[in-house]
Amino acid sequence: MDATATRTPIRFNRLLPYWAVLQTDLRQTAHSWVFRLWVLLSLLSAAGYGLYKYGIHHEAGIVQSASMQTGDLLRGVAVASLAFVALLSVSAVSSERSTVADAVLCRGISRYQYFMAKWHARTAVVLAAFAVLSAIVLTGYHYLLDPDLTFGGGVAATAIALAALACVIAWGVTIGALANGTVIAITIFWMLLYGTILLCSFLPDPFPSPTYVMTQMRSILKGNYDEYRVGRVVAGFLIAAAVGATVGLVGFRRKDV
Amino acid sequence: MATDAAALVIETSHLTKIYQNRQIALNDATLAIEPGTVLGLLGPNGAGKTTFLRLVLGLHTPTAGWAKVFGKRMTPNAADLRRRIGYIPTNPQFPKGMTPIVYLDYIGRLFGMPANSRKPMLASLIRAVDLLPHAGEPIAYFTPGMTARLAVAASLINEPDLLIWDEPTHGLDIEARRSMLELIKRLAADKTLILSSHNLTDVDEVCNHAAVLNKGQLIFHGSLQDLKGRIRKNHYELDIEGDQKSIAKTVQQIRVMKEVGSAVLRHRRLELKLVDDVPNTAVLAMVFQTMADNKVVLVSVRSVGMQTEQAYLDMVEKEEQRGFTRLYQSAEAA
Repeated sequence: MDATATRTPIRFNRLLPYWAVLQTDLRQTAHSWVFRLWVLLSLLSAAGYGLYKYGIHHEAGIVQSASMQTGDLLRGVAVASLAFVALLSVSAVSSERSTVADAVLCRGISRYQYFMAKWHARTAVVLAAFAVLSAIVLTGYHYLLDPDLTFGGGVAATAIALAALACVIAWGVTIGALANGTVIAITIFWMLLYGTILLCSFLPDPFPSPTYVMTQMRSILKGNYDEYRVGRVVAGFLIAAAVGATVGLVGFRRKDV
Repeated sequence: MATDAAALVIETSHLTKIYQNRQIALNDATLAIEPGTVLGLLGPNGAGKTTFLRLVLGLHTPTAGWAKVFGKRMTPNAADLRRRIGYIPTNPQFPKGMTPIVYLDYIGRLFGMPANSRKPMLASLIRAVDLLPHAGEPIAYFTPGMTARLAVAASLINEPDLLIWDEPTHGLDIEARRSMLELIKRLAADKTLILSSHNLTDVDEVCNHAAVLNKGQLIFHGSLQDLKGRIRKNHYELDIEGDQKSIAKTVQQIRVMKEVGSAVLRHRRLELKLVDDVPNTAVLAMVFQTMADNKVVLVSVRSVGMQTEQAYLDMVEKEEQRGFTRLYQSAEAA
């Protein structure tokens, strides 16, 4: 072994560490078995449900409204996806603690950059995958079933689902970064997640609870929605996501790894 | 050690780490490391060596006290300070699916190195650590020796002023260990190094300073010569020759000497322990005279134990024996 002798002053780019972790995590998340399983199961369930409804619609002659079926499917996929999304988001930081995180955080990267890169990478991969899945389902169901979907309704419904997932991811990454182990973090997060959904379902009418919003998917997909109300729901989820990420940033700033 | 704080590479004051109010990993460690020092961090398992290093790197936050690196307080967000440090953990872990080129490029980007300085550097390092034939292979299939060489390259990519290597020779074969020690000697010419090691032979060979931790307490900090100076010079092995009767008589006569603590004969080897606080030269002269009187030939004489190892073991033993007086006496390092 021989040390290199050349020595030229290096001008460091302070944003590069963020990009390095972001790019690496984007690739790793997309290659992870949890992500692949989630995409595969979602695609299979969408295809199977669609073909079943197509059969009823065309062979049995029972009219199947695309908005109703898509709404039901999106709601089902979103709820079922929570388990996978929770795994993906919680493991972002916690699974690397005491292993790869050492090799990363002992370099020229701050805790803020590391946390943000992880959060952004998981959010980007999950939301991109869900958006593509939703687009496929909406287009497919539009042609296979009774076409009562509207473009605006599809965009609004997808935006709500994406905002909800963004909120879940932000809090998942935060809990993963603050807990001392992956298993305990996932347990805490699942309990919080499903507990919150349950509690929100008891909210009185003026409050747009997640359950209520999901049941309204059908009419939103048909184009029967109030833009202001949809905007408020999306903004609510995004604010909750931002609060979650801020809690994570502040907590992870001094957390031992 | 000089006390000019601005010139110090590392300075810690009352550095303490308690994990979740359950385990005291490091207790009141105060030390200063000057530029050009090659410090061997010694201590048994669980002594707090890795905790100390992780606190210095900002991977952990201290429960009390502080650590300064290059004159500035180290925190988990002190990325600028860590750009001047090269670190190798005990068992380096690598992200899955990466090749050495991809990994070193990733590490270079983590330091914020632009491509025009990162790429030539990583190419030079891969060649320097003899990984050129394996540059495109997945790290997952690497042997421990290759992994250690890659970790060395990763710790040097940012041209650091301070190198912190946790057990760098751990798991290496003889040849790889020799290469690692030679590299450390060359790096010591213009860098400050901290080597945590269980292997006292390695420390003896490459370090000029030592710090000894025991149960989280810093019990010694100073030059290696100082550490060796604390050795108990009272334990010797003598290889002897002569007829059995003469040897037995000699041993008997030596045993009755009040300056000799014990004299044990094993085959033709006499193990001699002198009592503390006696001039060893005078006692040895008496022993040699007895042997000469009985016509016993002295083949060789040597002090038992590798000096650094003996000094280290003595220090840990003395620390254990101090009992509750530890509370009232500051560490010898101070």
